[in-house]
Amino acid sequence: MNALQALRTRPMRALVRDVRLSGLLNTGMTQRYATTAQSKPALPPGSELAGKSNLTAKIHEKLKIMQYKHNKIMEQMTGDISGMEREDMARLAKEQSSMGMIVVPYEHLLKLYSELIELEQMMSADDPDLRRLAREERQEVLENVVTAENDIINALLPKDSAESAGAILEIRAGTGGDEASIFCGDLLHMYEKYAQLRKWKLETMSMDSEGDKIKEIVLKVSGRGVFGVLMFESGVHRVQRVPATETQGRVHTSTATVAVLPHAANVNIVIKESDLRIDVFRASGKGGQHVNTTDSAVRITHIPTGISVENQQERSQIQNRERAMQVLRARMYERERSRLDLERRASRNKLIGSGDRSEKCRTYNYAQNRVTDHRINFSMFNIEGMMNGTALQIVIDQLRIQHDLDELASMDNFDDISPPNQ
Amino acid sequence: MPRSVLNNTVIPLLRQLTKKLGPQQAKNELRWMADHVRKAIPTKHTAEHATSARLWRDQPAPSAEETEVASKRFSSVQWAWLRQAVHDRVETNKPLQYILGTQPFGNASLLTRAPVLIPRWETEEWVLKLSDMIRAENTGLLNILDACTGSGCVALGLACALPRESVHITGVDVSHDACDLAIENLLRNKKAKQAVEFQRLDLNEQGVASELNSRGMWDMVVANPPYVTPNEYAELDPDVKDWEDVRALVPGDPMDVDQSGLSFVVRLAQLARELGLADGESTNLPRLVVEIGGAHQVDGARQAMHDNGFNLTEVWKDMAGIDRVVLGYHKT
Repeated sequence: MNALQALRTRPMRALVRDVRLSGLLNTGMTQRYATTAQSKPALPPGSELAGKSNLTAKIHEKLKIMQYKHNKIMEQMTGDISGMEREDMARLAKEQSSMGMIVVPYEHLLKLYSELIELEQMMSADDPDLRRLAREERQEVLENVVTAENDIINALLPKDSAESAGAILEIRAGTGGDEASIFCGDLLHMYEKYAQLRKWKLETMSMDSEGDKIKEIVLKVSGRGVFGVLMFESGVHRVQRVPATETQGRVHTSTATVAVLPHAANVNIVIKESDLRIDVFRASGKGGQHVNTTDSAVRITHIPTGISVENQQERSQIQNRERAMQVLRARMYERERSRLDLERRASRNKLIGSGDRSEKCRTYNYAQNRVTDHRINFSMFNIEGMMNGTALQIVIDQLRIQHDLDELASMDNFDDISPPNQ
Repeated sequence: MPRSVLNNTVIPLLRQLTKKLGPQQAKNELRWMADHVRKAIPTKHTAEHATSARLWRDQPAPSAEETEVASKRFSSVQWAWLRQAVHDRVETNKPLQYILGTQPFGNASLLTRAPVLIPRWETEEWVLKLSDMIRAENTGLLNILDACTGSGCVALGLACALPRESVHITGVDVSHDACDLAIENLLRNKKAKQAVEFQRLDLNEQGVASELNSRGMWDMVVANPPYVTPNEYAELDPDVKDWEDVRALVPGDPMDVDQSGLSFVVRLAQLARELGLADGESTNLPRLVVEIGGAHQVDGARQAMHDNGFNLTEVWKDMAGIDRVVLGYHKT
């Protein structure tokens, strides 16, 4: 089953289905996992002492359910196992381990909450030494609470396998003429430096430029987790500054568009040869020995989807064709992926990682030394740090946090949370 | 990644190239020349020189950023090379491949030198297609003769695309320059070392067939023979006419009456028969693979093959839609 099919069949209600199938039903353990009778779901005791948490009450409910199921499975596995088939054992073991990834930190969290309650009582004790001890320990426990919550959140979020792979980064000059092209060059510099810091490998697939002025450039970025980091860069980047080409010192606004596609190296995208039209430079005459041409440009068009990729970077047509195919595969994978993504999240107002190329994502204002990301309304006053790649991590971290929160919030809308896919 | 190739001095170079090549290709060729000069004429010493010059004058050493920017600029030696290269390209029509000295071909990287014929992309295309065919058949060791081997591109292209022990290719050419270059290319592409050998041989001489036959059984003859007609030769671009060996382009005596350009193809068909390729059991692989100049030569080439016992012929088009290769099979 190739990766595209795998994307389509991602189980959102798999847990319930699997539990039914695993035979718990047959052993008479049918349960209806009802929520509590109260009108509003309750938080575990002590959680209010931990301050603002990202885990809402609904999520706590679901975690409790998961804990219950996990315990049931544990009982089953440690009890009388002589009557069970090997496959059932294996399946139970798998469920147990995948649920364990969520439940174990959750139980740890509950313990931390009860510790908080005890410490709260200690804080109102008479002995000042005891009070001081309680305060210090409370600090430590709060930090552990944050770590445990993060573990749970990480385990709950659906893993997009594309995020751990490399990426294809496309930077194109938008409105603004030469200044936009120069800005493209600056963005390229920023990403190069950032990639150096992260020890990623960069490779130019194709470049249309005149020195510092870059009209369009396509790069392949290789490394672990590249796409998961760079996916937030998709969108329109806007710059407000006095251009180098300006004679009168006026501030201009120009844009550049960045698109980030997951690099579909390990994914089996099936592209039929018959669907492709390959165009090469045609000598006006006879070609062959009659002509010596250095034009090795190749354009590949995928007829059903209309996606077309051109490459004239290398001196060999074969190499250019291979590069164009790589970019074509990436574009097709991205298309399919974002279509599925859109379906999955149709109910929400999707902020980040959507790859919607027409959205304004960031403004770079040189006069005010400010970089603002519009999706999360986050401003940073360090243009130089940004443009030499060192401060980019700060913005990406913020984007990642917001992205995870959005994902978590979207889970409220579903009746079930499934354990992470292996 | 070169950040700034262009400062003011490059614009005139670009303009010169654009006159000859058009804007897009001028940019491409300048980029390839720039990449080449960086590798061919390294300037490692410049950074240390700059540092010591500054310190000598009691100035602070250049910062990391400065050295980085400076390292991307060209040195005066590199500039001189670039100016000469562009001048040669534009004023004397010297082919880019001769200026850069290399040309990628399939999995191999070949040296190029005047007046040996520069490998064409059409040749690369059918060589790779043929190697796919051979690989799929997966027969035992094939003994292949590559006639008019020139730079050795066909022989080396096949050898680098096929697994070891699947082919043994002998490349021959009448030109000493070509054989010298082919041997250099063999040393450059070590993957092909066991599978390929080159030799100077004039296929029009008497007794060539028996000499070749004495070396063993042959399975296939491949060739990119000269196929330009004398009329066409007069009309060729100076890129080709002024620089590449006329013997690699026009078959036979240039003063010859034969206007079809097929005389060498005919000779090759005869030679293939003399080497016994028109006998024996039929196989799925062609026995004779010859590149031609276009639709005007298809009939003549097929006829020559049929006359020499290759009772099934096939024609391949290249990616520009021109009839490029004629293959001769022997089917019983």
